[in-house]
This record gives sequence, C-alpha cells and structure tokens, in this order.
Amino acid sequence: MSAKNAVLGLVIERPGYGYDLARRLQERFGSSGFAPTGVYSALDQLTSEELVRSGGAQVEPANERAAPRTIYEATSKGVDRFEEWMLQTSSLAPVRDELYMKIALSKPHNLARLIELTQTQEQDCLARLQRLRQPAGIRQQSRPKAWADVAVLLVRDAEIKQLQARVEWLQRARTIMHKLNHVQERSTARGGGVA
Amino acid sequence: MSAEVRLALEKVSKSYWRGPHETAVLKDVSLSVYAGECVAVWGQRGSGKTTLLKVAAGLESPESGVVRFKDQDLGGMSKTALVRLLRGEIGWARRTGPESDELEMLDYVALPLLKHQPLRRARRRSAAALSRVGVAECSKGRWEDLTDGERTLVSIAHAMVRQPSLLVVDDPTANLDVLQREQVMGLLRGTAEQDWLAVLITVPDMPSMVHAHRIGSLSDGRLLVPSGVLPERDNVVDFPGRGRAANG
Repeated sequence: MSAKNAVLGLVIERPGYGYDLARRLQERFGSSGFAPTGVYSALDQLTSEELVRSGGAQVEPANERAAPRTIYEATSKGVDRFEEWMLQTSSLAPVRDELYMKIALSKPHNLARLIELTQTQEQDCLARLQRLRQPAGIRQQSRPKAWADVAVLLVRDAEIKQLQARVEWLQRARTIMHKLNHVQERSTARGGGVA
Repeated sequence: MSAEVRLALEKVSKSYWRGPHETAVLKDVSLSVYAGECVAVWGQRGSGKTTLLKVAAGLESPESGVVRFKDQDLGGMSKTALVRLLRGEIGWARRTGPESDELEMLDYVALPLLKHQPLRRARRRSAAALSRVGVAECSKGRWEDLTDGERTLVSIAHAMVRQPSLLVVDDPTANLDVLQREQVMGLLRGTAEQDWLAVLITVPDMPSMVHAHRIGSLSDGRLLVPSGVLPERDNVVDFPGRGRAANG
C-alpha cells in the first residue's frame, strides 16, 4: 500500500506543504512504516494525476530568509477520487514476518536463541506501546465526542490490539519453547538428542 | 519536589499449590511506583496480575522478597499496624459493590469513613469523591441501577474517599466500551498527577495501558519492561518516572 491515499486524505483534511504532511503522516500512521520521503513522491504522483495542486506558497514566519514552501490543496477531482477509494473494499495486509520464518526453519539447537528473540520482541512491542500516547486534542477525564477523535482512538486501538496479539503469541511460543528446550537439555545430558 | 517511591516490590516471589503441584505465580518481581504516576501491568488470564496486586497492597505476603510502602517493610509490621495502613493509606477499588442492595451510592462511598467521622461529614466527603470521578448524579442511585462504567467510577470513589496514598485497581476497564475506557483511564492518570497519588493497575487489555506513565507485562511470573529501559536490578520496573515526577 502506497502513501498516496493517506496523503490525499490529509491534504483534503487540511492543505499543507511537504514537510508538514510528512509530519502529520507520521503522527497519524506512524506504525504503518511509510517513509517520510514517500510523501514527496506521493505528492508528485497526485499532482500529475491532477488530484492535488499547488495552492500557493508560504513563508515560515520564524525564518523569513528561507525559501517559500509550496502548499498543496486538493482538487475537486481529488476529493471525488478519495470518496471512491473510501467506498472500495479494503484488503488484508500479507503476513510476512522474519521471526515466523526463523521458527519455521529452526532446529532444536536454535531453541535457546529463539526464546531470547521472543523476549526481545515482546519488549519491543511494549516499547512501541509506550510510545503511543493519548491523541492530541482529546481532553483527559472526558469522553471524546467528536467523530474525528473517536476515529483516531479506533485506529490506535487496532494498532495496539495487533501488538497485544503479537505479545500473547510470543508468550505462548516462549512457554512451549522453554518446555521443549528443557526436554532437549535433559535428553542431551543423557547422551541422546531431539530430532 | 523530589520523587517519592510510594511502593516498592523487591525480588518478590509467590507460589500457590494446585493439588500436588506448586505453581510459581511471581518470580523475582521488582517494581516501584512513585507518587504522581500511574503504572499499568498487563497480563493474560492466569498470569498472576491479581496476586501481584494483593502482594503490593499487603493483602498477601510474598514467600521471598520485600514489599515496602513509604519505606516501611510490610513483612515486618504487626497485624494491627498493617490493618491500619491498609485502611488509611491503600485504597483498593473493588467492583463488587455494597452488600446491601438498598444502599444509595452516597452512603456506600461514605461507609469507609463512618468509623471515624459523623455521618454528615462522611456524606459530604462521599459527595465530593463521587463528583471528583464524574458520577455525582449516581449519589442517589443503587448499585444494581448503575452501568458498568458508573460502577467502575463509583468503586474508584469508594477507594479514594479516605484519600489514600496508593490506589490499586484490578482491571478498571472490564466491560467498558472504548469511550468509557478512555474516561476511566484518563481519570486514573489525571488523579495520580493532580492528587500526587501512586496508582497501580493491572489490565488484560493493552489499549487500557496507553494512559499509564509506565507499563510492563507479566508472563510466567516474570515482569517484562519495554526495550530501551535498563533495569537497576534483575527484573525490575524502574523507568524514567523519577525524573519525570521530579520535574513535576
């Protein structure tokens, strides 16, 4: 999935210049792995398809000597295309995971290291969760009411639930690998082995 | 203002016997909770979350390790002193509700105060606690009339009415929808910060942890912390909370 539709949606929400859009893309879809430079190629593509256009230039007040920045805004064709995209079905992302592959191709002597890897990855999931914060604009101790706020919460929840599912799987995998590793160590100590 | 460790678990271990088998529930768990912060521990069902809270709140003793509350070793306290501490300083929010179905929530929340305060003053503080958590309108209601979200908030008011130093909540977001969850977790974080309270919660659902200042996960009796956080001792949760809390 390219960043094209996400960038188009952000421009429709509010016109902006490249860096501003890259920052907003990171804020809203940080875990999607879009490269910041992807915003510029998406803007080039959207411009050539006449879905966005340059809406003028803006000089940063704090740095008047800097070159003016091109502000992008959506065209009516762009708004129509975005609405079409919104109505289309959404496909599931393919699961392509290095740890799955390592486990699938591992041998018993790899178990100890795989156990460590599950622990490290669980800690990485927690670190990613810790970086996720309450979306800006939602006041603490009150229930968010505006749809825009609720939508942000739902997307954040989806991301966290994926992390949770990952951690649950890592813990289950670690538990069973611990057991098998223990069996293997005992077997090795007796002079046998686990195939 | 310097950061203050309210609760410290140091290499705490606890196990239960299930028939002839001994099951280790907590293994060398270390955890600090500072005044002004909310710490959330996530774990799957049966991971030992409730045991962790019971040990932290002094309701159960660990087999090994030390639990300190405001630098006092709970294991070294007399039963009387421990009971006084539990009643005065540690609030445990339970969603079991009152024993009597007839009790109005104003009186239910006032109950913990009645031993030492006249009814009128206890009710005044109860009303303030209910208002503080955003359910003042429930004061005349009965437990069975409340929604899950209201029950959670009333339970928190019940635990906080004595103005404890440590608030302990087991799964505060059970049965709540996304919006109610945000409200409850925002309240717990805000209360910790504004009332300089230490809050320790356990959750089975990770989205509930986003509001917490620090997080950890419990698995096979061990507490894991996010990568990039260097423990001071083995298996310890000890994040930059001290610096953050020290900075206000």
